[in-house]
Amino acid sequence: MNPQLRNIADLDRVIHEPGRLMIVALLFAVERSDFLYLLHETGMNKGTLSSHLSKLEEAGYVEIEKTYRGKVPQTLLRLTSAGRKAFEQYRRKLKEAL
Amino acid sequence: MDSVGNLLDRPRQYYNIDGVGELGLGFMGLAVALLQWLQATTPKDAIWHQMYLFIPYWSCMCLVIHYGSKAIKKHVTYPRTGFVEYSKWETRWRPAIVGAVVAIPVTAGLAIALRSHWNLSAPRSFLGLLLAASYIYGFARTVRWKWAVAAILTIGSIAIALLPTDVLSAVARDASLPREISVSVAATLILTFFLYGVTCSMSGGISFWLYLRHTQAPSQEVE
Repeated sequence: MNPQLRNIADLDRVIHEPGRLMIVALLFAVERSDFLYLLHETGMNKGTLSSHLSKLEEAGYVEIEKTYRGKVPQTLLRLTSAGRKAFEQYRRKLKEAL
Repeated sequence: MDSVGNLLDRPRQYYNIDGVGELGLGFMGLAVALLQWLQATTPKDAIWHQMYLFIPYWSCMCLVIHYGSKAIKKHVTYPRTGFVEYSKWETRWRPAIVGAVVAIPVTAGLAIALRSHWNLSAPRSFLGLLLAASYIYGFARTVRWKWAVAAILTIGSIAIALLPTDVLSAVARDASLPREISVSVAATLILTFFLYGVTCSMSGGISFWLYLRHTQAPSQEVE
């Protein structure tokens, strides 16, 4: 197979989905953030965001921590080192493919 | 790929979504201008010239900025548009390295210039332009109307540098200054920091007002 086509075929499908790509890119630039921040920045609805986060958690890319801010429940999200590595690799492969 | 690059830059821009970054810088500009003005208008043996006052003054200013920003973020921003924790590289190491890279050559250059009795009247507008450039890099790139603020800072800095000496001597007194610093240089610094402080405070205040107007805390648990 042509190496450029191989790069496209090798793109990480978990990250390649636009919604998840937004989430991973936003989390890549910070230590951690909460659910509300991602909701505000991505413009997704709660259900869609939750479903994307579950898929990222299943893949081991995102760590989800349920906690409280005062008496208000808060969901904190952090990109794992596997998630960081996968995103860096995804960017490199996409750049090469383009 | 550009969109991904923009997304990677979003969290940094998010810090000033409520204008807190500019309010902090505005407060610092005004506090520095006030201290410089007090030093430039009071006798050399006045309290404002003493090192034992300078350290607590500077510490208080930093504490107000740090805890003030933190309080606004905690009680206003996080409940409305979400919490972000930045990496230590973003909040500590990067500012420290950039600060050192800028401060060391500037301080060394200034020390050499003062010891060699160079005439600093000509390059005195440089500080204002440097502050305007840092404003453009830090804030104006993210919000279109802030280019007007950057223009005010740039034009203001040039206008201050062009002010006649008799106007400048109303701001600083020769008798209060160390002999290495002329009235025009001292007055330019005071007016530049004052301009930067007022402009950033107003711009930050407008951003904060717009933020409060266009956002509201979710009525219940978000997830």
